[in-house]
Amino acid sequence: MGQFKTSYAKDMVIFPIRQDRIGVYLLLGFALVLLPLMMAFHVPPFRTDYFLLAILLPFLILSLAAIGVNILVGYCGQISLGSGAFMAIGAYMAYKFGTGISEIGLPPLPIVFAILLGGLSAAFFGVLFGLPSLRIKGLYLAVATLAAQFFFDWVFLRVKWFTNYAPSGSVSAPELKFFGYLVATPVEKYMVALIFVIVFALIAKNLVRGNIGRQWMAIRDMDIAAELMGIRPLVAKLSAFAVSSFIIGVAGALWAFLRLGTWEPLAFDINRSLELLFMVIIGGLGSILGSFLGAAFILIVPIFLTVLPAELGIPITTGTVSHLQNVIFGGMICCILIKEPLGFARLWQIGKEKLRMWPFPY
Amino acid sequence: MSSMSAIPTMSALASTSEILLAVENVTLRFGGVTAINGVSFDIRKGEIRAIIGPNGAGKTSMLNCINGFYHPQEGRITYKGETRQRMRPYVAASQGIARTFQNVALFKGMTTLDNIMTGRTLKMSANIFWQMLRLGPALADEIRHREYCEEIIDFLEIEAIRKTPVGRLPYGLQKRVELARALAMQPDLLLLDEPMAGMNLEEKQDMCRFIIDVNKTFGTTIALIEHDMGVVMDLSDRVVVLEYGRKIADGTPDDVKSDQKVIDAYLGVSH
Amino acid sequence: MQELGSFLEVLISGLLAGVLYSLVALGFVLIFKASGVFNFAQGAMVLLAGLALVRALDFLTRLGFPGWLAIMLGFVFAALVMALCAFLVQRYVLGPLINQNALTMFMATIGATFVIEGVAQFVFGSEVYPLRLFPTDAWIAAEATFPGGILINKLDVWGGVIAGLLVIALALFFQYTKTGRALRAVADDHAAAQSVGIPIDWIWFVVWLVAGLVALVAAAIWGTKLGVQFSITFLALKALPVLIIGGFTSVPGAIIGGLIVGAGEKVAEVYLGPFIGGGIEYWFAYVLALAVLMVRPQGLYGEKIIERI
Repeated sequence: MGQFKTSYAKDMVIFPIRQDRIGVYLLLGFALVLLPLMMAFHVPPFRTDYFLLAILLPFLILSLAAIGVNILVGYCGQISLGSGAFMAIGAYMAYKFGTGISEIGLPPLPIVFAILLGGLSAAFFGVLFGLPSLRIKGLYLAVATLAAQFFFDWVFLRVKWFTNYAPSGSVSAPELKFFGYLVATPVEKYMVALIFVIVFALIAKNLVRGNIGRQWMAIRDMDIAAELMGIRPLVAKLSAFAVSSFIIGVAGALWAFLRLGTWEPLAFDINRSLELLFMVIIGGLGSILGSFLGAAFILIVPIFLTVLPAELGIPITTGTVSHLQNVIFGGMICCILIKEPLGFARLWQIGKEKLRMWPFPY
Repeated sequence: MSSMSAIPTMSALASTSEILLAVENVTLRFGGVTAINGVSFDIRKGEIRAIIGPNGAGKTSMLNCINGFYHPQEGRITYKGETRQRMRPYVAASQGIARTFQNVALFKGMTTLDNIMTGRTLKMSANIFWQMLRLGPALADEIRHREYCEEIIDFLEIEAIRKTPVGRLPYGLQKRVELARALAMQPDLLLLDEPMAGMNLEEKQDMCRFIIDVNKTFGTTIALIEHDMGVVMDLSDRVVVLEYGRKIADGTPDDVKSDQKVIDAYLGVSH
Repeated sequence: MQELGSFLEVLISGLLAGVLYSLVALGFVLIFKASGVFNFAQGAMVLLAGLALVRALDFLTRLGFPGWLAIMLGFVFAALVMALCAFLVQRYVLGPLINQNALTMFMATIGATFVIEGVAQFVFGSEVYPLRLFPTDAWIAAEATFPGGILINKLDVWGGVIAGLLVIALALFFQYTKTGRALRAVADDHAAAQSVGIPIDWIWFVVWLVAGLVALVAAAIWGTKLGVQFSITFLALKALPVLIIGGFTSVPGAIIGGLIVGAGEKVAEVYLGPFIGGGIEYWFAYVLALAVLMVRPQGLYGEKIIERI
């Protein structure tokens, strides 16, 4: 049965197909209401904190970071190997703003502002390291972003100011108060992360389907033609760097405040950067949905590799798990790039189209 | 659907004598190679001007100079009465110069509609914060420009492919989408680089019709490079002929056709 | 004199360490020139070559092979492993992606990196394996000029000599063999080379093989210095800034870039490090590359590209 639109506004909503819309409402309802309730009343399988803290929370926060990476890599076509560094900037600056910067007489700020300011700081440095992208193209940029990665790894390890001169070099999170409400239990942390993810996913989706998003994609697909059409590479590229790093920075701050509870540079090293890049490639370059799918895949594989052999009674060392995981991720990347460059998101779309035609494929 | 009100319906605008763009003594070099050597010509408001010449004559380089992608070492380009120094391509675009390309330069990962919408970029004004919310001015922008793009889509008869990623379209349609994208800019001067290359006869006829329609309905001044002599002679008001980076003839199709230098250089080769 | 002596010591050790960066960068340049692929996997290939070599050596020594024979067989084995790697990468990763854009190819080599690292460690183990191929003691030079002389690592000198020989061998190979000529043709223009009947699959395989062999040499020297271990891949990543500085398409550029980075980071560490916290070797090369990018995007020896549309 066809669905007809009677105005352009109706044709341009996020989910133009009614079934999609219903699906999304159901998913949101489940995530926002049902799941927390099930957790609260210990309904299996969501009974344990493990499920929330080790699976859902990382999934949400890394999905958010992946959305950020996707804006830069998938939508604007600027490769980045330094996303971890921008997560770190978000995390450490949010900590500084959250505990107050005495040097400039800044009192501790409410946590939401601290997190957003962390994101802004990341955006600032994102633009700074994005500047070379105006002169250089593609692969050269990979090295510029690597420079950011290694430089900030070092900065956060060596410059004690960021950890308020804590002797161990690692600090733990201040009290998490959101608008006066103390967030302590896993369910509460999950809710905070979820709200951030929903808000930023919506913002990201709005941007990529609007004017600025089209400019990003135009630069990605054919930068010279874009410029000849009046798109300014400076504005398009740097705005992609800014928005992308902002979202990645917010994800970094959430990762430190909600997931880790401590600050250590190791959590944001080059492996994190590559992991995020993998999520984006596997999930789907240039797709917000793909960012979620990719994050889910990257998180599920190691769990699967640890749990499955244990269930089958096959002894497997953690070293072997990590090697196998590398092979699977790497193989998956090659496979996706060769067979379906738009990743899981595209497969999902094709599947949906097939299903809609079913059982008559014409 | 809204009416055609957004498109100015001009009566057939014969080429006036007002000069829209003048190229004077332009010389362009790449290292030791001189691609264009002291070429001068002008384009009058409302006319269809053809630039022809054998391969490597410097035709595409000339278009690249006009819209600011290449910077000639010598000479001046005067557009709308303003003589230009070095300028960035987006400035040329913002002053109303649009362009299609010899090898289709569409944004392959985007749909037909999105490609055409990029042509409206310069006309959109909502800032990034409204765009984040997609409300207020941002939404108004989207709807208003979507309406304009839909009119171009109707005009070029590509309704059926508006939501198709352009990478999946056949070549002839891609060329048409490219024209649509350029038209979306509402240009004063439209540069077409071999708009009919690689097309079959039927597609060529369609494209010819569109070019004439654009010129007549919108009053757009058009400069085009084309190899098909029949097309050039039928379409254009005046023709400039380049060979090895120099201008060898300039005039009406009939003048050029009978010019001995042109016959030797170009038409002498059987087509 | 004391200061000058210690400065020279730092400089020379830096230059000789830079030779190793040059070697890895050389592998990148070879592949980039012939296929336009920016090969992120070069570091993983060094790891694979090193692990294959050291594990084969251990195995053969335990079987009681005499040292020289074990070393020779070990190298043959490692070379075969690199050939297999080159074949598989060409056949299953790059072959299907031919004519894709550079970014896609690059991301595919990141995927290949993970597969190679995973398989190498799965098959050959993931500990630190000591390798003893070259003398590792130091050597004191110019005692007459400087009090205490200048300390020079014999291994570094060996590394320099071997790298020099390798570059000469490669130059001869490219200049005078049929495959070498075909390779240069492919580097100039894929499509044109294909149209005159040069088998591009074969050429790409050869290039990856040569890059693999260069990786093997680098692994042998590096392994002797630090033991064969996973962190080799991070050192190999430094070849990226080396390339930026030298230019992607230039063999001399790779060599000079490597030397600049090696010497620069050692000198910076020793003379700048104490003031800003030490450990700057970790990022110095990258930030230097970034500075070069801003001033001269095509690198010292790279070609400037004219854009067309």
